[in-house]
Amino acid sequence: MSQASRNIRNIGISAHIDSGKTTLTERILFYTKRIHAIHDVKGKDGVGATMDSMDLEKERGITIASAATYCNWDDHVINIIDTPGHVDFTIEVERSLRVLDGAVLVLCSVGGVQSQSITVDQQMKRYQVPCIAFVNKCDRNGANPLKVISQLRTKLGHNAVAMQIPIGLESEFQGVVDLVTMEAIYFDGDNGEMVRRETVPESLLAMAREKREELIDAATMFSDELTEAVLEGGDVSCELITDAIRKGAVARKLTPVFIGSAYKNKGVQPLLDAVTSYLPCPLEVVNEAIDTEDTTRRVVLSGNPEDQLISLAFKLEDGPYGQLTYVRVYQGAIGRGDTIINTRTGKKVKVGRVVRMHADQMEDIDAVAAGSIGALFGIDCASGDTFVAPGVNLTMLSMFVPEPVISLALIPKDNKAQISMSKALNRFTKEDPTFRTHVDAETNETIIEGMGELHLEIYVERMRREYAAEVTTGNPRVAYRETITRRAEFNYTHKKQTGGAGQFGRVAGFLEPYAEGDFLFDNKITGGSIPTNYIPACEKGFQQSLEKGPKMGFPVTGIKVCINDGAFHAVDSSEIAFIAAAKGAFREAYAKAAPVIHEPIMKVVIETPTEYQGSVMGLLNQRRGIIVGAQDEGAMSVVESQVPLAEMVGFSTILRSATQGKAQFTMEFAAYRQVPASVAEKILEEIALRKKTAA
Amino acid sequence: MLLKEAISPVRRLRRPGQVIYLSDRNIAMMIKELSERNPLRHLGLDMNILKENGAFGAVMAPAGVGKTALLVQIALQAMMKKFSVFHVSLQDPVHKVTLWYDEILQDLTKTYPVDNVQELREEILLHRFIMTFRVDDFSVPKLAERLNDLAVQNIFLPQILIIDGLHFNSKIQPFLQEMKALAEKQNFFVWFALHIHRNEQTNQAGIPLSIEGLQHHFQVILKIEEKGDYMSLKAIKGEDRDKAIDTELRLDPTTMLITDRG
Repeated sequence: MSQASRNIRNIGISAHIDSGKTTLTERILFYTKRIHAIHDVKGKDGVGATMDSMDLEKERGITIASAATYCNWDDHVINIIDTPGHVDFTIEVERSLRVLDGAVLVLCSVGGVQSQSITVDQQMKRYQVPCIAFVNKCDRNGANPLKVISQLRTKLGHNAVAMQIPIGLESEFQGVVDLVTMEAIYFDGDNGEMVRRETVPESLLAMAREKREELIDAATMFSDELTEAVLEGGDVSCELITDAIRKGAVARKLTPVFIGSAYKNKGVQPLLDAVTSYLPCPLEVVNEAIDTEDTTRRVVLSGNPEDQLISLAFKLEDGPYGQLTYVRVYQGAIGRGDTIINTRTGKKVKVGRVVRMHADQMEDIDAVAAGSIGALFGIDCASGDTFVAPGVNLTMLSMFVPEPVISLALIPKDNKAQISMSKALNRFTKEDPTFRTHVDAETNETIIEGMGELHLEIYVERMRREYAAEVTTGNPRVAYRETITRRAEFNYTHKKQTGGAGQFGRVAGFLEPYAEGDFLFDNKITGGSIPTNYIPACEKGFQQSLEKGPKMGFPVTGIKVCINDGAFHAVDSSEIAFIAAAKGAFREAYAKAAPVIHEPIMKVVIETPTEYQGSVMGLLNQRRGIIVGAQDEGAMSVVESQVPLAEMVGFSTILRSATQGKAQFTMEFAAYRQVPASVAEKILEEIALRKKTAA
Repeated sequence: MLLKEAISPVRRLRRPGQVIYLSDRNIAMMIKELSERNPLRHLGLDMNILKENGAFGAVMAPAGVGKTALLVQIALQAMMKKFSVFHVSLQDPVHKVTLWYDEILQDLTKTYPVDNVQELREEILLHRFIMTFRVDDFSVPKLAERLNDLAVQNIFLPQILIIDGLHFNSKIQPFLQEMKALAEKQNFFVWFALHIHRNEQTNQAGIPLSIEGLQHHFQVILKIEEKGDYMSLKAIKGEDRDKAIDTELRLDPTTMLITDRG
């Protein structure tokens, strides 16, 4: 195992909106001397935090794209991916987690475990990312880090243990007591850069001892040596405790919790120590690749920089000097001048420049070795592509990409705007797989699709700013779907014998609802009533019909087509004839199969002061929402509900005015569900109107 | 000719319009079937008792024996009969309570297979409202305020209230009295989870001495006991006590579902 890989940490910082993760990253960069001044998010100096490099991010105070950066701490190289907190950008969080070896889960000491923390935690579970927790904002009124630790246990099911206890809280917050070394840690200097270690204050000694015992108790589960030492009585060495906690944390069976206040410059350096001590190095994480020739075979990657190259392009950015591709190298190394192969396209690519990124600034380096994160210049690829050395037939696991649920029509102002718009769309779709675009054949409008209103809004705004593309947008449209609710039979003959070559084909069978998937084609033809070579044409005909439902024009899903009879003509039958026959058969049966519209239902979680709970529930109820439950947590309440996406347009403004801006909400896709008849009628009217205006 | 006559009735049946496909069974039928198989009726607990507004029921058991699971089963059965159930939990967050419902419904539909679990879940979801409180913050006036919020906006009107996680300590008498007044005013039935200690001394009726003084509040008391490899469920107080008292139902210790008569 090489020392270089041992000293690398690839970490992400993920959390709920406004838990202060960008502020925390800013402090980390300052203490590791990557930056020389601290700029706050929405700070008065107007500079904005270093990691929020896009103008828009600085203006809105949110992080959109996850910028990658690195820093050095105590002989270790820490690569940090700053991840966006808003759920509309979840794909960014997912992509970052895919390439990370560990994460810091930032929690607000007042808000505790909030809805978004639960989403992020589920993502971490999916990718098996070990994490440590940081309870931030201990200087705020109502801060209660111990409550947050118990929430970590009850709400997220973590085996969370306090590694520190606070010295004072709220405005009295001075520092922390390290429960491993039993020292009080204070942070002096203008920016808290001087760490002062002292004996634990008398008043906190009893509590510190008690918490230390709890910590050791939890740690003994992971080390026999520590258990022995505890049983023998006497002093337990710090190394033994640290080793045991590390084992637990790396195995995701223990979550060490640290506390502090990034904004007040307290508790950040011990957190950096913890990142190097408790989070795994790239070699401790098992990464698997799939054999491209036998997709069921998984290959464990060695992590050795001497082996053949396997790397994953996890993020693209289009900068002023061309496309920048962020890569994580799992095995081998990518050096300047190397030839690498994109497994998706099979194309050979020569690596020009290799750089290390620090938000929007970069440094040229010679190579990125196994375990590390870097960026390549001038490589044409899509996000999620695998790059390997020639001769290697492996691909990294594909990442989970959710389907878009909302769309928006874009209308460019003039020809110039049209050109800039296409350039921008081309780039955005490459960067973000959840953002898609197409041209509606009927209305000739450019349609963009994404994961939520804000997601699309941000892209439209970026189009205006970065590409000077003046566009106006239509009303957001929800991605409805159609399906059938009843079995219906068809027996359709396609016959055309007027001039030229004739066309003949008959297909018979039935359509029925299919719950297990989108589409199933079942061929039950016996006796050759349709020759085998025309069966694929029949399937194609049905499949083409699914793209746009005959009644409402939405994609049709959840349908099984079974053909069991038919007829052909020795001269006049052809593939085209059977495609046409299948389409006709589908039209015939579909109308009889009681088609219905399905709409996306979102899981909406609102956190609100308790006094507004009633009005918040009223808002949800007005929007055809089903309230799953309400959680009373003292001053705050959390309302969980399922609301149709169509009703959520503009909800943030309405919620803000109803609660004086004190409530916030998160929204994510939950399921597709049937639209009530009255609403379906309205949708049909709208479509008719749209077609009329387009014509 | 003879042959043709023999076949024709079958042919007539096969005409497309006359075939009933099993997948077409509607949701109402499914729910009816599932609730008719409800083993709780053996305890003299059909749904009629739930129409007795302002009455109290309790599920009594030591920790970890399946109080919540049984209450959720009672709630599910009631929801299938279109009763609105308001579930108050003082110990678990909303998503955990939801999980209880999802898992028990899933187990229930495994035991008594139905065609479309998802549809069933959506249908009964409309009849459920979960609200959680911190146990030290919970009080009848607070609950009344929340219920009022929901009633005024016509969001949810409970017919059955479930309270899980309440401590039956010294302050419980006034709480139960206040609760009774609220239940009578707003016309709902209240089920409580009642925590008892293992090996606690009981009176003749099987009620632990520590809560003997409270039993007059309850119209129904169900008791779960560990009996080696199964759990026994008995009604020690009920509407039709004579019928119920001899009946013992068993709970499957893995799913906590009522298996059937013991």
